Amino acid sequence: MKKYKNILWILMLVLMSSCLNEDLKDQLYEEDIYNNANNIYVNAVAVLYNYIGGSADSEGLQGTCRGVYDYNTLTTDEAMIPIRGGDWYDGGLWENMYLHQWNANDLPLYNTWKYLYKVVVLSNKSLSVIDTYGHLLNEEQKNAYQAEIRAIRALFYYYIMDMYGRIPLVTSYNEMQDEVRQSERSEVFRFIVNELQEVVALLPDEHSNRMGNHYGRITTPVVHFLLAKLALNAEIYCDDDWTDGIRPNGKDLFFQVDGEQLNAWEACVRYCDKLAESGYVLEKDYSYNFTVHNENSSENIFTIPLDKNFYAAQFHYLFRSRHYNHGGALGGASENGTSATVSTVLAYGYGTDNVDTRFERNFYAGQVVVDGKIVQLDSGEPLEYKPLKLKLNLTGSPYVKTAGARMAKYEVDRTSHSDGRQPDNDIVLFRYADVLLMKAEAKVRNGEDGFWELNQVRRRVGMPDRNATLENILEERLLELVWEGWRRQDLIRFGLFHQSYDQREQLSNEANGYTAVFPIPQKCIDLNPRLEQHVGYK
Amino acid sequence: MRIVWLSFIFLSFFSRFQYGYAQIQNIREKQDSVSISNSTQQIKQKDIKKGLLSNALEALSGQSAGVNVTTNGADRLAMLNSVRVRGTTSIMGGNDPLVIIDGVTSDIATLSTIYPADIESFNILKNASETAMYGSRGASGVIEVKTKKGTGKGFEISYDGNYGFESMYKHLKMLDAEKYISTGEALGLHYNNGGYNTNFHDVITRTGLLHQHHLAFSGGSVNSNYRASFGFMDHKTIVKVNDYRNLVVKLDATQKAFNGKLTGDFGVYGSSSKIHDIFDTRMLFYSTAAQNPTYPAGPDANGNWVKNSAASHINHPGILLDEKNDSKESNFNTHLRLTYQILDNLKLSAFGSYSFYSTEKAQFCPTWVWAQGNVYRGEFKGEDYFAHLSLGYHNIFGKSHFNANISGEYLKQTKTGFWMQAKGITTNDFSYNNIGATSSRPFGSSGSSYESPSLLSFMGNATYSFMDKYHVTATVRGDGSSMVGDSHTFGIFPSLSANWNLKKEAFFSNIDFLTLLKLRVGYGLSGNLGGITSYTTLNTVKENGIVSVNGAPTVTMGSMKNTNPDLKWETRATFNVGLDWGMWNNRLMLTTEFYYSKTSDMLYAYDVPVPTFAFDKLMANIGSMSNQGFELGVSVIPIQKKDMEMDINLNLSYQKNKLISLSGEYNGMQMSASDITPIGSLYGAGQNGGNNNVVYQIVGQPLGVFYLPHCKGLVKNDMGGYSYDIEDLNKDGHVDLSDGGDRYIAGQATPKLTLGSNISIRYKALDVSIQINGAFGHKIFNGTGLAYNNMSIFPDYNVMKGAPEKNIIDQNVSDYWLENGDYINIEHLTMGYNVPLKSKSVKSLRLSASINNLATITGYGGLTPMVNSYVVSNTLGIDDKCTYPLYRTFSLGVSVQF
Repeated sequence: MKKYKNILWILMLVLMSSCLNEDLKDQLYEEDIYNNANNIYVNAVAVLYNYIGGSADSEGLQGTCRGVYDYNTLTTDEAMIPIRGGDWYDGGLWENMYLHQWNANDLPLYNTWKYLYKVVVLSNKSLSVIDTYGHLLNEEQKNAYQAEIRAIRALFYYYIMDMYGRIPLVTSYNEMQDEVRQSERSEVFRFIVNELQEVVALLPDEHSNRMGNHYGRITTPVVHFLLAKLALNAEIYCDDDWTDGIRPNGKDLFFQVDGEQLNAWEACVRYCDKLAESGYVLEKDYSYNFTVHNENSSENIFTIPLDKNFYAAQFHYLFRSRHYNHGGALGGASENGTSATVSTVLAYGYGTDNVDTRFERNFYAGQVVVDGKIVQLDSGEPLEYKPLKLKLNLTGSPYVKTAGARMAKYEVDRTSHSDGRQPDNDIVLFRYADVLLMKAEAKVRNGEDGFWELNQVRRRVGMPDRNATLENILEERLLELVWEGWRRQDLIRFGLFHQSYDQREQLSNEANGYTAVFPIPQKCIDLNPRLEQHVGYK
Repeated sequence: MRIVWLSFIFLSFFSRFQYGYAQIQNIREKQDSVSISNSTQQIKQKDIKKGLLSNALEALSGQSAGVNVTTNGADRLAMLNSVRVRGTTSIMGGNDPLVIIDGVTSDIATLSTIYPADIESFNILKNASETAMYGSRGASGVIEVKTKKGTGKGFEISYDGNYGFESMYKHLKMLDAEKYISTGEALGLHYNNGGYNTNFHDVITRTGLLHQHHLAFSGGSVNSNYRASFGFMDHKTIVKVNDYRNLVVKLDATQKAFNGKLTGDFGVYGSSSKIHDIFDTRMLFYSTAAQNPTYPAGPDANGNWVKNSAASHINHPGILLDEKNDSKESNFNTHLRLTYQILDNLKLSAFGSYSFYSTEKAQFCPTWVWAQGNVYRGEFKGEDYFAHLSLGYHNIFGKSHFNANISGEYLKQTKTGFWMQAKGITTNDFSYNNIGATSSRPFGSSGSSYESPSLLSFMGNATYSFMDKYHVTATVRGDGSSMVGDSHTFGIFPSLSANWNLKKEAFFSNIDFLTLLKLRVGYGLSGNLGGITSYTTLNTVKENGIVSVNGAPTVTMGSMKNTNPDLKWETRATFNVGLDWGMWNNRLMLTTEFYYSKTSDMLYAYDVPVPTFAFDKLMANIGSMSNQGFELGVSVIPIQKKDMEMDINLNLSYQKNKLISLSGEYNGMQMSASDITPIGSLYGAGQNGGNNNVVYQIVGQPLGVFYLPHCKGLVKNDMGGYSYDIEDLNKDGHVDLSDGGDRYIAGQATPKLTLGSNISIRYKALDVSIQINGAFGHKIFNGTGLAYNNMSIFPDYNVMKGAPEKNIIDQNVSDYWLENGDYINIEHLTMGYNVPLKSKSVKSLRLSASINNLATITGYGGLTPMVNSYVVSNTLGIDDKCTYPLYRTFSLGVSVQF
């Protein structure tokens, strides 16, 4: 009897283990995707490039809505999404962005944080994969893979630091949750600079915007551009108490570049020069950088590759900006939203005899013609954008649907999908005109003359020379780089972001500049009580 | 209170039975039986609603305390998802009750395809001690369905047929063209005048048609019999795009052998249903209400649709009707049960079943809706193998009865799917039938899947009863699933119940008017895995994107979620105590029951910090939730004579849910989820994101509460209209509409009290019955009212009648539009006539007439208070521009038996 009992037990155990096992068929165990050098590259390194662009809200460095780009653009004097009657109120979201009335509870701020840190954590994971499966790689592969991952991680830390200031610096995949604490902004800044300086030599010296082996990847010039940006903004990033009215001087902030000790401005200039050495030049035609097939631009340094048939990343900004009937005339649809502020169109000289040549390359104003026909409203009247009629709340205005100059920067891809959200134009993140303007600014701030750099940019678009004053350089940055996602950073560097501008009044408690960083999302603090909220948001 | 005369007038001729009250009838019949009686609620065929039932679920509505059948408002066919037994007990899912059809594991969707006339009875199990025998699968209640079998009384044939039509009688009242124009003029706004006066509700609606036919044969003897039935239903709803067609075939046979010691039951069931729909019904209703009324109903002479392009959130309703979202579902299952009486008191039963189910989905969007068009095809198939073996023993020792049963069962499922979506169509003529004629099928637009979860269970139970007065049942069940973490494969779920027949005690037996008095008590644990799927616990990877590697688009692999290898069973402990009373020969019966259940180790996608996690959600067993309630059933038979009989039945169910905690320990780490999480917000123009959240999940509150700013009234604003005057609740000097700001808990979305009641009267061969359902104690956010009274959307979007006079220019959410959701709904009134026959060949002939959903009595100001008030989802408690127009149905039918 006992014998039978034992057999029964064994039978049951066999039954249980075999019956309750499930074979994977439509997915794999993680170890199976890191089985050779090529797969390690694809699944631990290249996989991270999925996150440079995006298709969902708050995902992607540019192209989508309610994320990095919007918080760097719609919060400034460059652009706004006005309330247009029943459209674009959206619970006060856009209005609050423009007025600097964002809040630690804002969902898009949390989603943006999650997106940026997701890439950081996945990068940490990729580094641990390289460690674990390092025996499948030769030394050269190992170094190159690690360098590329670290560069991507530094890129994302750069955006996190720029937006959120004092942030947790998590650099290992195995870091324990209770060790996560914020680092001072200057510490994060030093970490990013060091990482980039350490890995730059291991990256290929290729133009990443061009189709081919390095298309869309982080290459040496991309890192040089980032280092130039970091140096240019070093005064800001090294300021750990940004509400005290004092900030360090760039001449006292030092970088080791090529074995030399350079101050922030000199370092910026040096990295800009490296980009010139890499062969970047201004394209003859400003607009060529934004064409449907802009992969051959000699000016674009880092782009998000877009191809509706291959890649998932999208570009919503043309779609979001132009009028419904304008989108309809182009064969898709539109949302009639983002408009250039009045102060921006005035900066271009709109309405005067001396309009900057870049105005019509960047914006639609007045009547719109598509395929030789004037676009009509439903009523049969012509559609006419009214740049100077823009107000934050247009409800009740006769120009409720037509006020504001609209985005024209990128060439319209008539074959695009999703009503124009999936064109083939690669999204430009970094380009050489910015390098020249950075160099001009760094030189001026270091007591040198930036005339040549500034006016190279102006002459390319047929505009007369200007003196390289800081004021002119800031205005040139607006005119040249409008709606490319830099305005918030520029205004902060020039100390103007927390001031009244365009139609925005300074907030009652904003004089100390606390809005220069966004609040740590409340949900992050709820989930990790060791995180501390910034001054002004408590 | 105002009365809204509501939908459903049914004339039908199909049920030849009297109404009764499910639970009480059950007890009435069972009171003398030996088996342990509990709160199991049985709805017999005689209770199954008369009138035109478009599916079997409608038969359940209002019939049993604690069982709620609800629609989500927009899509009547989607009500398939929406049956709740004693509310929501798990956040993650697994709240749908288990459906067992003749012993075969099934689901709500399959149940809805069964022809109501094939159903013998529903049996609803609610307490853990009753659902114990189904283990984890029955954690959210069990609906046991018994279908009709051969009677063994020789050859019989019956036919039931219905023919009916539906017509709309009420919809949202928007401005007509004249008022639209005069409002535009008065406000000095730039509006478009298309020169027509169109009521777009007429564009999207039609007279609905419904017909059903059901034919059944049965024959044979007691030892060998069969029943075969065929059912067909065709339903075209009042909204032009909804068609539903269902074909059911069913065959059951019973054979006894070896002097009746062996019984074999064999059954085959097959159904095929086709549903035609569009994929954005909400957009359809939104467009129908808000479209400029001066625009034409159809395309112009050149076949072009006049667009209202400034209203980008809507489309011409006529265009949307060209969308297609069709599905075809096929089910086939077969089962065999062999029962062998080994000894007089020992019975062996073996049961096996095989089910195959397939869903084909096809969607099409023409180029005039989306510029590049859209075509989608998908096929999802599944197979279930189920085996159950049990050994039962019973014996009688003097005054004691003893029953014991051990069993084991195994369920293996295989589910596969394949789908593709394509854009860039060159012609609209192919619809979804030629997906090859498309130019773009990028990464992510096609896929296939495979999973095969399994469940292995062992169970033992024993019942002891003494003198037919005291009954005790103990059950232990072990469930093993392939889906939980390796270290937690098996969960053990015991239960215990007892039952005391007080009437048989000396101190009650001589109270003559008291005919029944029974006390029931039970306690049990059950496990639930509803929210997780096959690979949740495994660290698996699949394709997660496509990037350029060495110039070529390359698919990358990776994980898209945080993995928790320690997932275990969510456990629910339920305690119930009940008392059943019967008086005056059971002409007055009362059942009362109190229950309390606590769900712990609650499966939920908890918020986790990023960093160190890469993704913000982690499925874990942390929180807890409680449900408690009181259920009361009353049944009175005031008249009971040969020629006349009257039955009054009423059930009331009070329910209270509380989310106790979402915090706890995971992997040595304290997890503190946010106490306030939004789950429902508004939709539509100007309502996208921002401070638009309405319904929340808040720790310490019932699931689904309204957490809103408080509106003190209306104030003049600088746009020449009125705004909502929001109170600064925390008195910090400024109004903050965000989630952490000036908001308060303004009520709950789920009803505290639900009512179902039925009154029936028979006079000779004529009978009348009325069914009344109701819900109380909850609120509804009238988002439709908020949106269509906001003049800032005018003239791009049309507004409601009366909106120009109110002149509100504000679309912030506040408690201004939060209204009481209480209602009483008279679902139907049925009149029947059993034709007296002297014929030998025709056994019975019944004609009946019914008026269903006669009226709704409510204080709610929207179109109807019957929105989703039960299912925790983003539509819970929110009436947001998507209510189905109200309609009535008229039908004729005949039921004859030979």
